[in-house]
Amino acid sequence: MRFFRQIAVVAFKDLRAELRTKEAINASLAFSIVILLLFSFAFDPSEDTMREISGGLLWIVFAFAGTLMLNRSFARELPNDCLDALIAAPLPASALFLGKCFANYALVLAVELVSLPVFGIFYNVRWTKQFPELLLVLLLGTWALTVIGTIFSALTVNIKLREVMLPMLTYPILIPALMSAMQLTTALVSGTAIGADNIDSLKMLIGFDIVFTAVSLVLVDTVLVG
Amino acid sequence: MSAVAVEGVWKFYGDYPALRDIRLEAPPGSCLALIGRNGAGKTTLLRIVAGFSKAQRGKIKIHGNDPRSTETRRQLGFLGHGIAVYDELSALENLTLFGKLYSLADPRKSALEWLERTGLERVRNGLVREFSRGMRQRLAVARAFLHEPSVLLLDEPFTALDDRAIAVLQRLLREALAAGKTIVMSTHQLREALELATHVALLSRGQLAFHGQCTPEMVADPGYIYAQYGEA
Amino acid sequence: MRDALISFFGSGAPVALAAAVVALVGSVAFLRTRNFLYDALALAATKTGFALLAAALAAGVLWSRTAAGVWWAWDTRLTAALVCGLVYAAYLMLRRAIEEPTERATSAAVVSIFAFLDAPLAAIAIAWWRARRALPPEGGPPPGWGTLASGNVLAMLLAGAALTVILLRREERRRAQDAARRAALTL
Repeated sequence: MRFFRQIAVVAFKDLRAELRTKEAINASLAFSIVILLLFSFAFDPSEDTMREISGGLLWIVFAFAGTLMLNRSFARELPNDCLDALIAAPLPASALFLGKCFANYALVLAVELVSLPVFGIFYNVRWTKQFPELLLVLLLGTWALTVIGTIFSALTVNIKLREVMLPMLTYPILIPALMSAMQLTTALVSGTAIGADNIDSLKMLIGFDIVFTAVSLVLVDTVLVG
Repeated sequence: MSAVAVEGVWKFYGDYPALRDIRLEAPPGSCLALIGRNGAGKTTLLRIVAGFSKAQRGKIKIHGNDPRSTETRRQLGFLGHGIAVYDELSALENLTLFGKLYSLADPRKSALEWLERTGLERVRNGLVREFSRGMRQRLAVARAFLHEPSVLLLDEPFTALDDRAIAVLQRLLREALAAGKTIVMSTHQLREALELATHVALLSRGQLAFHGQCTPEMVADPGYIYAQYGEA
Repeated sequence: MRDALISFFGSGAPVALAAAVVALVGSVAFLRTRNFLYDALALAATKTGFALLAAALAAGVLWSRTAAGVWWAWDTRLTAALVCGLVYAAYLMLRRAIEEPTERATSAAVVSIFAFLDAPLAAIAIAWWRARRALPPEGGPPPGWGTLASGNVLAMLLAGAALTVILLRREERRRAQDAARRAALTL
């Protein structure tokens, strides 16, 4: 279907442009490693403490490093007025939005999947005990981050203080998703499977993803064209 | 049915009217030169016609349809102030990308064809970042014409073009007109524009001061229109 | 006396919630009609709600200190209110960052919708988080936060409505001045 093909065209365009320059992904990776390093200086590395703070620490790293990437998402269309060309092209705003979401998703996930082993090494924590479920939380939580970050990247693209406004808008809105992801990650890194006491966090993540993906798809045309 | 119809368009920024009750038409196969001083509203109007922003009152019709519909967008080509191609991609990659977005039958073939027509086939794999200004402008022109739009909207296209790019653009515009396409171009460069124009519209402070056919007097003395209908 | 004040300002919390609903209605109405009056309404309601919420939070913090001995006990309602406050603060900051009135109103309306959808999710997440953390069970809502039918709430409602109208008029006036200024610039 044309819609899906257009999403793929936009996504691959973003990925190709980013992988060619690697500006954002290098900055994002460097940032994540620096934060992990800094925090390891701050905490006394007892294994229990590390496991307890793992979820919080990891998702702070993911959120901050991810926002660096997401800021670029629509901002990369500004030089040469490329955004005009995309809006003028016969593709629905939702296709443009989803294409960018998927590209961002892939890039942020890549940074996260590198950060996890780094975390394991610095903090001497084994995080692979519940890996499939951890991956699920990563996928759901990163989608929340990506959707909110991408729609607000579109919203703030023309604002002067974009680098300041994007985090200011994104982080508070993400609180429910981040709380749930943090809680689940801590549990999974500690070896507890997702069970009766965790399942509501998972439900919250899924609910958040669905609600905000839907709202973003409905409002993206308004955001881009006005 | 006119190719481009602007029906009673008003554009407000907050409460301030940037465009007031604009009514004009471009018949199919015509070339409308939209002239006016800086700040008169040419770019604002053109962007509304292209579908980048919405008028608060009034309508735009492209061949009778809404400019934002997907079918209409396929028939529109826009050349604005920015070149609207990606610095990190090559010339060929850029045009192939837009070919795919416009659902062309063979994006790569069309891309190569238009690189040839704008004299860029030898640098087709070069990154746009490394192009000279003239080359970037010719690529922008290629992008605008790539999908063979029936309506071309150009915002001050001759500004900041080098001689070679001007020649390419004029040739392509003449070919487009000969093929029955419609052109609406806003311009400061009256001479180049009036040579091609069949119709002229003068905007003055958001209002239409004159709208009609392009006469020989206008071509002979571009200042004529301003003297007759607008501010000096 | 102090308890009465705490209770009074605490009653602003349910009114702040009502203000958020008004802001949402204004935002959606603006997006559908492009009438700037609705945008002004959304802004006025958000500012009013934000002010009431700030006062209610201050009262809640004071109550927490006097009744429980700690400045912040991660009470569900207070924490949820803080998060909502942050979200709407972002709305207000965004408005200041956009010059052009139509763009400002449109972007703000979108953020307002996101904010309103986020608030209940945040409240639920916080409630679940508290339950999981096994924090000491809460004694009850901070004074004024729990009841909807009280003289204080009515007084706050009237004050809120008055403030909203005042802010609405101010925004309308500012918009007219802005238009006149732009007109003068181009002539």
